[in-house]
Amino acid sequence: MSDETGEERKEAGAGLMQYSPEGMMPFGPVHPSLKEPEYFKLILEGEKIVQVIPRIGYVHRGIERAAQERTWVKNIYLFERICGICSFAHSISYTQAVEAISPFEVPDRARYIRLVVAELERIHSHLLWLGLVGHWAGFDTLFMWVWKDREHVLDLEEEITGNRVHKSYSTFGGVRKDLPDNIGEKAKAELGYIEKRATYYKDLVQSEETLAVRTRGVGRITQETARKLSPVGPLLRCTGIGRDVRVEDPYAAYDEVRPEVQTSKDGDIASLLVLRLDEVLDSCRMVKEALEKIPAGPVKAAFPRTVHEGESSFHVEAPRGELFYFVKSAGGSVPERVKIRTPTMANLLTATEMLKGQTLADVPVVLTGMDPCFGCMDRVSVFDVAKSKGWSVSGEELREYGIEYYRRKRG
Amino acid sequence: MVARKKLGGALGEMFKTAMQRPVTESYPFGRKVVAERFRGRLDIDPVKCTGCSICEIVCPAGVITMVPVGMKTIGSRQVEVKRPSFELYTCISCGQCVDDCRFGALTLTHDFELAVFHKESLVMKKALVVDK
Repeated sequence: MSDETGEERKEAGAGLMQYSPEGMMPFGPVHPSLKEPEYFKLILEGEKIVQVIPRIGYVHRGIERAAQERTWVKNIYLFERICGICSFAHSISYTQAVEAISPFEVPDRARYIRLVVAELERIHSHLLWLGLVGHWAGFDTLFMWVWKDREHVLDLEEEITGNRVHKSYSTFGGVRKDLPDNIGEKAKAELGYIEKRATYYKDLVQSEETLAVRTRGVGRITQETARKLSPVGPLLRCTGIGRDVRVEDPYAAYDEVRPEVQTSKDGDIASLLVLRLDEVLDSCRMVKEALEKIPAGPVKAAFPRTVHEGESSFHVEAPRGELFYFVKSAGGSVPERVKIRTPTMANLLTATEMLKGQTLADVPVVLTGMDPCFGCMDRVSVFDVAKSKGWSVSGEELREYGIEYYRRKRG
Repeated sequence: MVARKKLGGALGEMFKTAMQRPVTESYPFGRKVVAERFRGRLDIDPVKCTGCSICEIVCPAGVITMVPVGMKTIGSRQVEVKRPSFELYTCISCGQCVDDCRFGALTLTHDFELAVFHKESLVMKKALVVDK
């Protein structure tokens, strides 16, 4: 049964009268497949989604408030736990924002190391996403292959930072440890393997019909919509608008190791697949280039425990798009205010546009396609207003339904 | 069917991977080898610890509590001696205490098997017994 209370259900029903005889399907609110739990009211016309109403704020954990009680250094570990997949993006965004208050010059070698780890994180995030799209589109073989290859990147990250997910590597004034001695050769070998695999997957996602029928033309956004709703990251670049923080406002060593902004024109999930694999290939090139060009020297400069009065904002290109941090200091040992905007927040409205016009069977693929977070679709409640009846569909059932729907459609 | 015709793209890879040995590690039977820098269970050398409390101050997870273990005479004054007690079940293995310990008393080991039946067994009090 739906978790909504009787009154909420009644309210939802009353709101739906204007859509009668269409149906409504609440999606969420606590939903592990989404980065932040979000609630989508899907208004259906038969199978087709005509309207999507998002609602957010279900697990407001008060991290920004908690940060005001903790010292500057303790906050590094707090902020990197906002997201497991882009934990390093959070920690470099915060540390660089705090360094910008002073301002403080970070050693060159540390800037390069930050780039290397950030790009490794992008590779593993994109590969994780590719596997998930494969899973939700009913192509589990791709999911297993991609996640197997992702282990190579995670091992490399563990080798450098000491951990696969929460790296705890960036700190004020640089990074906490120098690169391991033999990392150059090992990284070259592993990244060569990833490049080979990414090229193969790029070919596969374009030629494999199983994936093409579930992704081509699905969740399409036009350039015009993108300009209106301002999504960030790959979701914006897949419409042909080549915007990337790494190029427009270089941080770390991105002014010396330049990324090539990848774009595609179709704006659907199929083009996102190719775009993200292009970014994986570009990231591999950048890591190799950075490891060749990396200067010798210290990796950390002494940074004071208290930050003097001032404020700064900093944005980085996380794997999912622009990640923004605003930090204000009153001169003490704790920050006065920290404001964070994650990429999913910026992409949420675009996701609702992507869902419009799609069928119910496409919901898992489209919502995974915007890359909200990883996880599994556990609980979807369906509410039929005409029958005043609510019931729930598990994520797995919805996935099976999607696969069966396309099987029937294709005969 | 178009789908079946083009399935060949993945078939070659399927046969290739089918012939390979499993990628997954038989973990309980073969021990996982972790990276040299892997941050696992925290450990302390009680001999090197001076009870300076820096680790307690910097710990972001509130793992460390300084416990009085006795009194010490410095000149004509009586000073309380403290030693750290670690509640490792809340430890996030970030290693900030290891970085900040100027006496090199703290280390992060490669032990990652921290599943226990009673969380009390993850309270490390071995630094408390030393009374210098």
